[in-house]
Amino acid sequence: MLFLYIIVPLLLAGLLPLLGKLSKRLLPDLLASAAMLFLLVLTVIGARPLISGGGVIQQATWFQAPLNIRLLLDGFSLLMLFTIALVSFVVCVYSIGYMEHYGAKANYYALLLVMIAGMNGLVLSGDLFTIYVFLEMAAVASYALVAFGRGPDELEAAFKYLMLSAVASAFVLLSIAVLFAVTGGVGFGAVAQGLKTLNVRTLVGICSALFLAGFGLKAALVPFHSWLPDAHPSAPAPISAMLSGVLIKVSGVYAMTRVFLGVFGLTPALTTVLTVLGVVSIFVGALAAIGQNDIKRMLAYSSISQIGYVVLGIGIGTPLGILGGLFHLFNHALFKSLLFLNAGAVEQSTGTRSLDKMGGLAKVMPVTAVTSVVGSLSIAGVPPLNGFWSKLLIIIALVQAKMLTLAVLAVLGSVITLWYYLVLQHQAFFGKLNEAWKSVREAPFWMSAATVVLALLCVAVGLAFPFVVGTWLQPAADALGQGVNVALNFIGF
Amino acid sequence: MSNLWVLNLGFAVLLVGVGLYCLLTMRNTVKLLIGIEVIAKGVTLALVAGGAARGNLMVAQSLAITVIVVDVAVIATALALVININRHTKSLDVRKLTRLKG
Amino acid sequence: MHLFLLIGLVAFSAVAILCRELLKSAISLAVASIFLALLLFEMGAVYAGVFELSVVAGLITVLFITAIALTRGDGDVAEGRAQRWVFPLFFLALAVVDVLVMRRLLGRIPAIQGSESGGFSQVLWNQRTFDLVGQVGVISAGVLAVLALFRREGGHGKGEGHE
Repeated sequence: MLFLYIIVPLLLAGLLPLLGKLSKRLLPDLLASAAMLFLLVLTVIGARPLISGGGVIQQATWFQAPLNIRLLLDGFSLLMLFTIALVSFVVCVYSIGYMEHYGAKANYYALLLVMIAGMNGLVLSGDLFTIYVFLEMAAVASYALVAFGRGPDELEAAFKYLMLSAVASAFVLLSIAVLFAVTGGVGFGAVAQGLKTLNVRTLVGICSALFLAGFGLKAALVPFHSWLPDAHPSAPAPISAMLSGVLIKVSGVYAMTRVFLGVFGLTPALTTVLTVLGVVSIFVGALAAIGQNDIKRMLAYSSISQIGYVVLGIGIGTPLGILGGLFHLFNHALFKSLLFLNAGAVEQSTGTRSLDKMGGLAKVMPVTAVTSVVGSLSIAGVPPLNGFWSKLLIIIALVQAKMLTLAVLAVLGSVITLWYYLVLQHQAFFGKLNEAWKSVREAPFWMSAATVVLALLCVAVGLAFPFVVGTWLQPAADALGQGVNVALNFIGF
Repeated sequence: MSNLWVLNLGFAVLLVGVGLYCLLTMRNTVKLLIGIEVIAKGVTLALVAGGAARGNLMVAQSLAITVIVVDVAVIATALALVININRHTKSLDVRKLTRLKG
Repeated sequence: MHLFLLIGLVAFSAVAILCRELLKSAISLAVASIFLALLLFEMGAVYAGVFELSVVAGLITVLFITAIALTRGDGDVAEGRAQRWVFPLFFLALAVVDVLVMRRLLGRIPAIQGSESGGFSQVLWNQRTFDLVGQVGVISAGVLAVLALFRREGGHGKGEGHE
């Protein structure tokens, strides 16, 4: 059953270019959204019961015939699957309205579906090398999606993104090659077992550094972040939402966490490195965001800052820290997608991304304005919205772990976040309505529907946070809390 | 056996280093892609050498072939980007790519 | 013999990077590929060697040459003057560091023997099936990407004129 997560988007992606010849818009719109809705429902009612007793390995089948593919599902992968399905469903619905003027919708959806299939595959794989393959699959699709508009900005951003991404893959792959040579395998279990029996501290150090650089580049952690503020704003808005909301988390944070916590085991040195990188990212991202005039660039810098919180939380390594980090990861997927989609709605209506030129848009675009306020307050951590709870958990975990300086810095970062989001809201939606935008209309139905769903989710997750934490996040944190043991249990992998 | 692996790994790292040097200093977009290719060669060498050292040659070959296939897809996409960029700027010079501030 | 091949591989890769004309670079890269393929043959990795020879030395070189031909006339980009002496310095430094690190590794790596059975196709099919699915995905991503970037309609330069 888990194989459906990979094969459904992939098959549909193969069919869409052909179906696009029959119907340019209707069929691609309908099928892509339907496929994502199917995966979302499947996650909630099909996949969640599977992990009631911890992680499982499922053999993939093709029309009842067993294949030699074993998929690994535990709480952490399930959380990622859920996040991917949720955000991509909303993004597909939004694209119905937004992608009209780009043309080539079938091709667009096909690329989007390949990217989703790549991320799903990455999350379900129990093998370092397979992670690399699916990482590349999602990455190649995302290069094309960033460049989809084919304007000079898009192409330039995509090229730079491709270059840095290729370096990241090279680091990851070199590290995998060394581990393969030393332990004789590439499965999580084999590598974890091999490293446990052999005493190769130097090599593990080198490999950790390589993985950190590689996945850090993918996650846009601070010394490796320079591609993100170009790539994410240049893409079409739904793709920005997808990249910032999910891709950097899956191919960066998920992969990094899996390797460090699940295969190498978290060491004090790694904790220090991760927490410091996290805090540096929070500040560099937040401070750079303040000065931005381009609304999507501001959001992109804010992504760097928020990823900092996620890595900070996971880096602490205590159960509460991991829980907070994962919760923030999930929340960030919701509100950052929401904000990017709103930025896209504003851009489509007014034709500009410059905050200076906006102003008073709340009068003409009430839905966008309200959802945007919800998103901004959530990301800034205003109670009782979802962002507040996850930041609170991270800060409590920092205090418990006796990292008081970091805790204070995290609070400070949150204050800066609140500040620049208030500035953003003020400049874009409130104040005096710019004369030029008198005739601007609210975004089309499907776009508004998508943002409303995300805004409602932000509020709902905030209000019902014990429920969400209990059903989706605790299993994920538990799975990570077991550390290397999970991988060791999957020796036969 | 192990020493031969170290020798191979050393050369693989050398190749990756040369490729990275190219990415850092060169200004021609096609040249940058050649740099990526050089890095890929280093990685392929490291993978197969690792397999040879451990008697895992068959797995190593499967991995190497996958790397090569992935590489083709990446290079094809990158060249498509370069050709598209070339239509706009009429140049292959990355210094002309300065619209975005990074 | 092995050492000779390794040196040839690195040398031709370096030439590919330093060469001023792109066409010569591409050909030099193909020669480096042939050296790598020979190395792989020598290590007994016949299938990987054949792949390296046909796909990297063949297909990728063709891709490069096509792209160079399509962008012909704009291909001359003046590289920095410093290139000529920076590269040897860099290369020397890298080599020294490399040798130092690798010397530390010498003899330190405990040997465990892999227990491998079956032929190549069996291993690829029985153990790495998931990678094959990934390969299909990556190839389709590449094809779709090229289709998207060379499509005729749409894309009226949305990103233009923002900065």
